[in-house]
Amino acid sequence: MLRNYIKTAWRNLWKGRVFNTMNVIGLSVAIACCIMLFLTVYFQFTFDRFHVNINKIHQLSFSSSRAEGTEISTAMCAPLAQALKDDYQDIRYITRMANGGATVKYGGKELEKNIHFVDTDFFKMFTFPVVNGNKNNPLADLNDLVLTEYAAKAIFGKENPIGKTIELKYADTPHNFVVSAVVKDFPENSSITFDMLLRFEVTPDYQEHMKHWDWHDHSTFIQLHDNVKPEVFGKQLQTFVNKNFKEVIDGMKKDGAKADANGNVYSLNLLPFANNHFATEINGLEGGQVSKTYVFSLMAIGIFILVIACINFVNLSVARAFTRAREVGVRKTLGAGKWQLLVQFWVETFMVCLFAMVAGIILANFIMPGFNATFRSNMEISMLFKVSHILVMIGVLLLITMIAGLYPALLMMRFKTVSVLKGSVGNAKPGKTRNVLLVTQFTLSTLLIVCTLISWQQISYLKSRPLGYNKDEVISIPIGNSLKGDQALELFRNKMNGQPGITAITGAYDNMGSGKDGSMRTSRIGFDYKGHTVRTTIQGVSYDFLKALDIKLVDGREFSRAMAGDSNAIVINEKMAAQLGKNIRVGDLVPLDENSPSRIIGIVKDYNYRSLRSEIEPLTLVMQGYEINYVFVRVKADNLIRAFNQVKDKWHETFPNVEFTGSWINENTERQYVAEQRLSTIFISGAIIAIIISCIGLLAMSFMIMVQRTKEIGIRKVLGANVGVLVMLLSRDFLKLVLLAAVIAFPLAWWLMSKWLESFVYRTPIYWWIFALAGFIALAIAFLTVSFQSVRAALANPVKSLRSE
Amino acid sequence: MPKSFNNNMLSLQHISKYYQNGPNKAYVINDLSLDIEEGEFVSIMGPSGSGKSTLLNIIGMLDAPTDGYHYFIDQPVHQLKEKQRSALYKQYIGFVFQAYHLIDELTVYENIETPLIYQDIKGSERKALVADMLDRFGIVGKKDLFPSQLSGGQQQLVGVARALISKPKLLLADEPTGNLNSKQGEEIMELFRKLNKEDGVTIVQVTHSEKNAQYGSRIINLLDGRIESSITL
Ligand SMILES: Nc1ncnc2c1ncn2[C@@H]1O[C@H](COP(=O)(O)OP(=O)(O)O)[C@@H](O)[C@H]1O
Ligand SMILES: [Mg+2]
Repeated sequence: MLRNYIKTAWRNLWKGRVFNTMNVIGLSVAIACCIMLFLTVYFQFTFDRFHVNINKIHQLSFSSSRAEGTEISTAMCAPLAQALKDDYQDIRYITRMANGGATVKYGGKELEKNIHFVDTDFFKMFTFPVVNGNKNNPLADLNDLVLTEYAAKAIFGKENPIGKTIELKYADTPHNFVVSAVVKDFPENSSITFDMLLRFEVTPDYQEHMKHWDWHDHSTFIQLHDNVKPEVFGKQLQTFVNKNFKEVIDGMKKDGAKADANGNVYSLNLLPFANNHFATEINGLEGGQVSKTYVFSLMAIGIFILVIACINFVNLSVARAFTRAREVGVRKTLGAGKWQLLVQFWVETFMVCLFAMVAGIILANFIMPGFNATFRSNMEISMLFKVSHILVMIGVLLLITMIAGLYPALLMMRFKTVSVLKGSVGNAKPGKTRNVLLVTQFTLSTLLIVCTLISWQQISYLKSRPLGYNKDEVISIPIGNSLKGDQALELFRNKMNGQPGITAITGAYDNMGSGKDGSMRTSRIGFDYKGHTVRTTIQGVSYDFLKALDIKLVDGREFSRAMAGDSNAIVINEKMAAQLGKNIRVGDLVPLDENSPSRIIGIVKDYNYRSLRSEIEPLTLVMQGYEINYVFVRVKADNLIRAFNQVKDKWHETFPNVEFTGSWINENTERQYVAEQRLSTIFISGAIIAIIISCIGLLAMSFMIMVQRTKEIGIRKVLGANVGVLVMLLSRDFLKLVLLAAVIAFPLAWWLMSKWLESFVYRTPIYWWIFALAGFIALAIAFLTVSFQSVRAALANPVKSLRSE
Repeated sequence: MPKSFNNNMLSLQHISKYYQNGPNKAYVINDLSLDIEEGEFVSIMGPSGSGKSTLLNIIGMLDAPTDGYHYFIDQPVHQLKEKQRSALYKQYIGFVFQAYHLIDELTVYENIETPLIYQDIKGSERKALVADMLDRFGIVGKKDLFPSQLSGGQQQLVGVARALISKPKLLLADEPTGNLNSKQGEEIMELFRKLNKEDGVTIVQVTHSEKNAQYGSRIINLLDGRIESSITL
């Protein structure tokens, strides 16, 4: 019987091959998209899940409830970990973790590698299995070094690295380490990423750090005993905080700190590591955080596309069901039972779906590399062939065929055999369901169009908003780990001296925007000034900083070589000045360091030194105490490419062994919005695909309807209707539906996008014309699609169509 | 209390069928009673719209009457559930249509085979039965053709073969020759006579042609949903 079903199914599919091809194309494109999107979602949601103890690991964070708001910081001080473990039996493991980089020297090779400094508990908490070397305690000795397989291969090639000594140069000094173990490469979706692991004790100035409870510069992770509840444990930590951070608490209270719900102004909390990847609201976590909104958007778009494709499927199947009503009637007279007919139609649907799914997977395989490049993901089609994923796919396949296959089949079952055989069903008006489905499709499509337009607008707003300094024509060069910042800057300055086309050279502690090195530093300090605490971000700079970035002075002057006292002077922004008090003037002393107060020599206009996601905060520019990590070079505007190459060549001349990773600052500031850019790319791709699939459905649908209305068109034409009138007549019903869909989509889109925009401090307003434009786009596309068919129908020879009736 | 009679193939008693037309009932069949015995060959005649097809469809259980009693081989059809009715239908009734109603996507062979599939008959047995039928109707050479490749007469031949494949006791034909030329029509009529005489198949046909009606053993004239006359030849 099944063979018979498949045979009939195949012949039927072949007979309706135009529609079925459309159907299959639409569905397979949708499936390919869904595969991409859902794999990405899966990738994101399984971040860090490879750690066996993921749910037991927590990161420590301080929360300070200040008058201006609560601040959460994951930075810990070196003595804290051991002290905490001594005080609390509930802690099973604890490890500090600091990140750094080093130049590795081995066998004449020099490589830049990333280091994590950790305690020995690290291996018991996190799942980084040793594949070679000391499995029990890989970092037993202070000069032990653990490599990933990847790093081991890069440094040692095919040699066995275990027991080999290599030289690492960090903090300007070379150190020798012995490779004790190699760990398996961590998966792509790991927040903790490193090339090498070293003992925390070998961080620069470790002994000095151990003496201070107020130097916070690394992360600390703990794992509790299995029977300990983190919430309960977290509450007990206050005693520890009160004991060890009394001064901090007193200072905060004096400045009017507001106690939190538990009555504390300063507390130590546990952040579940399982949520690490999505904790975008917290700074200073391991790895790059991804907002759940982003992941859910992907999921929503995936579901939208699938729904749209399924709607096509249902609509086309229903449309075809009308043309096959007679067959159903005949089969009933031949003794077919309800179930036999249902199964027959289901088999047909199943075949189409299966075909579409296979095509979709193949398609996904082809577009995967492009997708990975655009969305910076690392997926492979093989991820799809996991048992769980295959089961899900089979489930989805069955579900789609149930909905898309059984609904039209049930509809056909309801036809009266007698009337079907008389031929009176074939021209029946398609029901409300079809309209509801079409409206749903276009609602989703229009929604995506609006989202695309608004996200575009926000991004171009972010890119074009003046930042308070001139980001054009300035090259920013990361200095790297192997050079000492101020010396490198001086050397380069001398080299560039007298070069034509160079307007200014300066250096800075923190980059402007996000450079090719991907690093970001923030230094904030607080100090007492006239009885209240003042907090400010610090930017370490060199001479000509204001000149190079074209930052406007409100009062005073820039640092000058000619003035002897300038090395301890400061330049502040307007926000900082306001915080210091109304009467602050250039020339006043500010006790950044209580032993030697700094003199204010200039006040600059506020400029956005961070991305536009955050507000401008008090900022202090200083000349000493902060290493120079970046060189900024302002060039003349005439030939930027030549200027860039000139700077690059000079850099290589000055530092033959150091890579040049310079980039334009305006590129750097744009790079800050890659996440938004990516979201917008996803919206636009989603919107385009949704529209295309909807249009395939519309095209097929309008074709069906034209066929049904051939006679009517013929008669109208004979009566003298012209083509334009006919096209309007035929398209009108569809356009009404699309318009209705747009009206439904607008408030939804408005709500969604205003939520999204709320995450920006600086944001574009939502203009009404965006909606008008989106509606117009949807309407225009739908009209083109439908009129393609209606024009054909309207142009057809009426005599022919009337005769065939 | 209406009753059925044992030698009856079917018995319709006070059957009515009407459509609600606004406040009025439009009767298509109006209090019609009819008994047909096994082995009869009945021709139903009457003007267009007199309810012939409706009557045939009621007899064939494709359509249900609004009122009345319907017995088929002693079974009270009006009381049966859909499923039982369909089982009864599958076993005893074959249908031939004016428009042939062959399934376009199936070959001649497959069209004839389809009723057997719905009766869950095994593949090998199906093969033998269909081969028999093809042979008997002289269409072996056409078995792999699709309906669109056949002439009207040939299509109707296949339609009859398909109706007979499950060995029905009652063959219902709604204007079987309506779309055929007179020579093709005669062939079908000869076939019907042979089936009736040699195989004992009870036949009820609707026809417009006096000549074709003469092939039967009884002619029933319908007018406005009532039997105007019933002539046994
Ligand atoms: N669904 C329906 N609604 C209303 N009237 C119907 C319907 N189906 C059939 N009729 C009417 O029933 C009458 C009998 O139809 P039918 O049995 O096909 O006549 P015949 O086959 O004798 O030409 C016709 O007048 C037709 O208009
Ligand atoms: Mg009729």
